[in-house]
Amino acid sequence: MSTSTVQSDNVKIQVKDLHKSFGSNNVLKGIDMDVREGEVVCVIGPSGSGKSTLLRCLNKLEDITSGKVVVDGFDVTDPKVDINEVRRHVGMVFQHFNLFPHMSVEENIMLAPVELKKMGKAEARERALELLERVGLREKANARPASLSGGQKQRVAIARALAMAPGIMLFDEATSALDPEMVGEVLQVIKELADTGMTMVLVTHEMGFAREVADRVVFMADGVVCEQGEPEQLFGNPQQARTQDFLSKVL
Amino acid sequence: MALVVGAPSALAQGSESVEGQTYVIGTDTTFAPFEFRQNGELTGIDMDLLRAIAEDQGFEVEIRSLGFNAALAALSSNQVDGVIAGMSITDERKEIYDFSEPYFESGVQMAVAANNDEITSYEDLKGKTVVAKTGAEGETYAKSIAEEYGFQVKSLDQSATMYESVKAGSAVAVFDDYPVLAYGIAQGNGLKTVTDKVPGGSYGFAVNKGENTALLAAFNDGLAELKASGEYQQILDSYLADPTAAQPSNFFDLLVKSMPALMTGLWHTLLVTAISFAIAMALGLIFGFMKISGNIVLRGIATTFVNIFRGTPLLLWAFMFYFGLPQLTGWEISVWTAGVLTLSLNAGAYVAEIVRGGIQSVDPGQLEASRSLGLGYGKSMQKVVIPQAFKMMTPSLINQLIISLKDSSLLLAIGFTELLYQGQQIYAANFRVTETLLIVGIIYFIAIMALTKLANYADRRFNK
Repeated sequence: MSTSTVQSDNVKIQVKDLHKSFGSNNVLKGIDMDVREGEVVCVIGPSGSGKSTLLRCLNKLEDITSGKVVVDGFDVTDPKVDINEVRRHVGMVFQHFNLFPHMSVEENIMLAPVELKKMGKAEARERALELLERVGLREKANARPASLSGGQKQRVAIARALAMAPGIMLFDEATSALDPEMVGEVLQVIKELADTGMTMVLVTHEMGFAREVADRVVFMADGVVCEQGEPEQLFGNPQQARTQDFLSKVL
Repeated sequence: MALVVGAPSALAQGSESVEGQTYVIGTDTTFAPFEFRQNGELTGIDMDLLRAIAEDQGFEVEIRSLGFNAALAALSSNQVDGVIAGMSITDERKEIYDFSEPYFESGVQMAVAANNDEITSYEDLKGKTVVAKTGAEGETYAKSIAEEYGFQVKSLDQSATMYESVKAGSAVAVFDDYPVLAYGIAQGNGLKTVTDKVPGGSYGFAVNKGENTALLAAFNDGLAELKASGEYQQILDSYLADPTAAQPSNFFDLLVKSMPALMTGLWHTLLVTAISFAIAMALGLIFGFMKISGNIVLRGIATTFVNIFRGTPLLLWAFMFYFGLPQLTGWEISVWTAGVLTLSLNAGAYVAEIVRGGIQSVDPGQLEASRSLGLGYGKSMQKVVIPQAFKMMTPSLINQLIISLKDSSLLLAIGFTELLYQGQQIYAANFRVTETLLIVGIIYFIAIMALTKLANYADRRFNK
């Protein structure tokens, strides 16, 4: 049951034979994956399978050992490409929020647009308030991150990631650090974002949510893509033994 | 050649006239009645003679009160043109300096505590310890008879501390130049003489061998003039015959009289600390960032800098910059320059470590989040990491500021006129060591408490 409304054949993310090693530890062992415009892809799999590393390679928070990653038309493995430019097209949400504690909520959101001279302060503030409205936290604009609950922090982090109006959003276990009662509010915001036709890659442990929101689910194990497909098919009728084993433990 | 180039003022050669020239003259800090401070002014036989001669011969003098050994070191490194410091003319010294005609006939005398009735002659010193001044004639004499009478000689740097140690009982007697002793006893330093004066050397004014000959000649001419006019004897009498300089009678009086000089000292302490710490912050930021750099060369340079200045004593660098650097480079280094260099490089090494620790204590996720928004490394550091690091660094930085303020007292060794130096000047003249140190200590304490409060207030105000 896919809820995505906008999809095209335009490829926004292309990953070819991606390898990533930390010293002698090979974490990614040849990943191939395409994400089309407007597509919502959920990456699932056991701990240590390389899900987060894959996601962090997409905006080059990790150096890429070998292979090719093309994001929004930019070859991020090309040293001549301005990675800062690429990152403005790719929003990222982290497990531990990583809000800037020395700034107010709205300053967190305004930082990138103002510093990158994309907007004046007044315009950036207006935009920040719109984004806060969208995640239901307009009244917290002047609060400090420390005064927010975990769920509120993550909603602010999503608003911050949206500030540069990116075409792609990456979510790295966005609900894993939250108390159970706060997971719902964050998933709701992500789901609304998916409904707008945003291209998204989510690393998640929320199987129910993946099933509901994803156009495609990618199951990773031991640094490779083990199996992928539409959620109905992957959750309902997994083909690989590894997938069946994993799903039997988490569902 | 560097030595000649680095001379602080015109090195008058041959028959060149001294008229209108300004000469920098080094002297002792604490050698009453030859040089000492009274109400903040440098005074004493040497000072009065030198000024009278300068006036007579038409040249100007700029006096640097450095301490005896430091004055000689400054002369050797051409930081000063001449030294007048109640210095005996000896054959050894004649090897490296040219002396004027003797301007004072001195001699050594022994003194004991006023209430000591056991020591009445050198024979009574058997098995005891006496004190004498490092490098002075009293030390030479005491050592020459130490074996014969079976006593130990301990050397100290200042007359005032020697007298204190005799009064405190850590030595039974002091061997010092007789005019100094006579003056001290007349000032009520709590000692008495029990033996006769040993006729000894003569005091002379010194310049580096073969240099400043015109200055030396002018000194001799002026001295002869003063002796002829009777002004010479007047100057001597004013200190030795009747030492009636008004001395503070009680603690409160001492406090009031010493306050102007101590406030000047406090001002210099605060100023040198402030300038040095500002430079140390800049150095610390640069080297702190180099220490976390990915570039092994930058990291190596920063680590070397930190290790050198953390791994060597502050005082060594004070001497190195003030006495060593002018000899190596020929540059003229003022005591302020040397003081600021010493303090700022030392504090800079510690600040670099504080900066490194502060930055590394910021969650790496902060930098990642900022970078993921498309901000560059520099911008991310400036806007996200450093503000948080600075907040964590503040207590350590305040601590380092206070350490630097206290360390600035070490600069008295090169004659920097900071607070403790001013205290030394005061007790060198009035021999009230304990009370003066107590006052100085209280001033330091108040200044540091005020600074701490101020810094903590600023911390709360700006690092919410």
